[in-house]
Amino acid sequence: MVATYTLWNKHMRKFLANPEEMFGLLIQPILWVVLFGVGMKSMLAAGTPGSGENYVTFMLPGIVALSALGGAVGGGSVWLTERLRGIVKEYLVAPIPRISILLGNATSTLTKSLFQAIIIVIVGVLIGAKLGPNPLGWLGGLALVALFGLGFSGLSLSMASQTDSPGAYHAMIMIFNLPMLFLSNALYPLSTMPTWMKIGSLINPTTYTIDGVRQMMFRDPVALAGGDPLPLWLCWVVVLAFAVLGMWLAHSAFRKSIK
Amino acid sequence: MNEQKPTGQAIEVRGLVKRYNKEVLALDGVDLSIPANTIYALLGPNGAGKTTSISILTTLLEPTSGTAKVLGLDVVKQAGEVRGRIGVTFQEMVLDDELTGKQVLDYHGRLYGQSKAERQAKIEELLALVELEEAAGRQAKTYSGGMKRRLELARALMTTPEVLFLDEPTLGLDPQTRVRIWDHIRALKKDQGMTMLMTTHYMDEAENLADQVGIIDLGKLVAEGTPQALIEQMGADTIHVTGEGDRAGFAERVKALPFVQTVSVGRTVIQIGVDSGSRRLVEVISEAARNGFAVEDISVSKPSLGDVFLKYTGRRLRDTDGPQAPNRMNLMV
Repeated sequence: MVATYTLWNKHMRKFLANPEEMFGLLIQPILWVVLFGVGMKSMLAAGTPGSGENYVTFMLPGIVALSALGGAVGGGSVWLTERLRGIVKEYLVAPIPRISILLGNATSTLTKSLFQAIIIVIVGVLIGAKLGPNPLGWLGGLALVALFGLGFSGLSLSMASQTDSPGAYHAMIMIFNLPMLFLSNALYPLSTMPTWMKIGSLINPTTYTIDGVRQMMFRDPVALAGGDPLPLWLCWVVVLAFAVLGMWLAHSAFRKSIK
Repeated sequence: MNEQKPTGQAIEVRGLVKRYNKEVLALDGVDLSIPANTIYALLGPNGAGKTTSISILTTLLEPTSGTAKVLGLDVVKQAGEVRGRIGVTFQEMVLDDELTGKQVLDYHGRLYGQSKAERQAKIEELLALVELEEAAGRQAKTYSGGMKRRLELARALMTTPEVLFLDEPTLGLDPQTRVRIWDHIRALKKDQGMTMLMTTHYMDEAENLADQVGIIDLGKLVAEGTPQALIEQMGADTIHVTGEGDRAGFAERVKALPFVQTVSVGRTVIQIGVDSGSRRLVEVISEAARNGFAVEDISVSKPSLGDVFLKYTGRRLRDTDGPQAPNRMNLMV
């Protein structure tokens, strides 16, 4: 769809013209990898040799997911700003399919998120994370992250359609940020969690994303240590369903907001 | 190309009603019939229903009831086709101001499916038309208010629309810029045969530009006609009186005077249409004295659409612009 491409192009142009925006979005994940990751790596290395790199490999997928989350929040923010400044009116008055307005935002958000994910992976590898042997696995991992980002974008776009206050939007979204990360297997394995936490993590799509990425993109330390990763097909199904749900939420909220 | 049904109206509105949230009645049954190659001004205060009307005609809002057609196409059922043939400038400036002027125009053309060659040609032509050639490479956020409005106008014209909708096109602009924009609008009508529907609360704008004026208040069209015809109803001169006393009684007595054409009683001012203001001032003042009506302030002016508005609605049309027609001797607020 030409219109979707045009809007994608416009968003990307503005993004590339504003390196501060990208830098700002990358700060949090990079801090996690570089400070927390290195700190943990050193702590664990003091115990068992090699377990430091294992931990960095272990936690990197979670940080990639976190950056996708941040990207999704940014995408919702762009939509909110465009709504408040009336730019959306220009789209609505143009002879373009209504859905391309939503898709233009979703695709540019996705592109930005993937771009950041790749940077985080590179930084992680530099710190000592071990990539898996199969490049197809790397693509698979990125695809999974993309779907996760799509799902969360749907959520944030839906919230951005329903409020007129940037403050309220960010407050709503922040509720998700760290809980999504902590109530998952991002920083610690499922197997050692207390039951209540395990249940919570199994409801969290982040867990499935992370597990899938671990298995496909990296030398999964959990598997190597004899632990049980989640079935890969299950990860794909859950994350796909999350993406569909998110987009559906965004679409309905979007249609209501342009009445 | 102008394809119209035999009924021939560029804009046709019947019984348009818009209710927000089941409570606020923004439009209460509006009828409009605007032929092609006309400049039509919807004149009214804020909240009268002007922006709602434009939103419906530009397919941004759906009416609660009634029909609206642009170029013979229903704005609800044939919204996509309508969108392809109209241009809009909005009241709030809706520019993506991180883009340069040129990019704003280019992205607009792309959204409307123009080829690269078409866009280049149009951008060159329109930047020259609105005199923004030098600023075109700068981000729109560096533009003044007047430059932004001119860019908005250029953007709306990128696709050579048959009908152009302008919502308060000179809102908040300085007098020189307003005149420039008026010149652009007149040229569009003359050189391109465009039909234009504009909303405004500035009576000088309506007087200067419009072929037809529709006075709208509280969601209803209360008067319609050419500016001249509407003003002529008011008499050759208008005497404005404010004061204390039996206003209704005074108005009745004054109406009976032979040289008085119309009398309207507003909230604070009584306006009297007469044949010659300066000659009749004395008689009006004496009439007031005879009626125990204490005159606080009195002035004479040529009638304006604002006076027409007062006559039909009993309220003043708030006028916030600067220097106006030189024959006004308006001594009161």
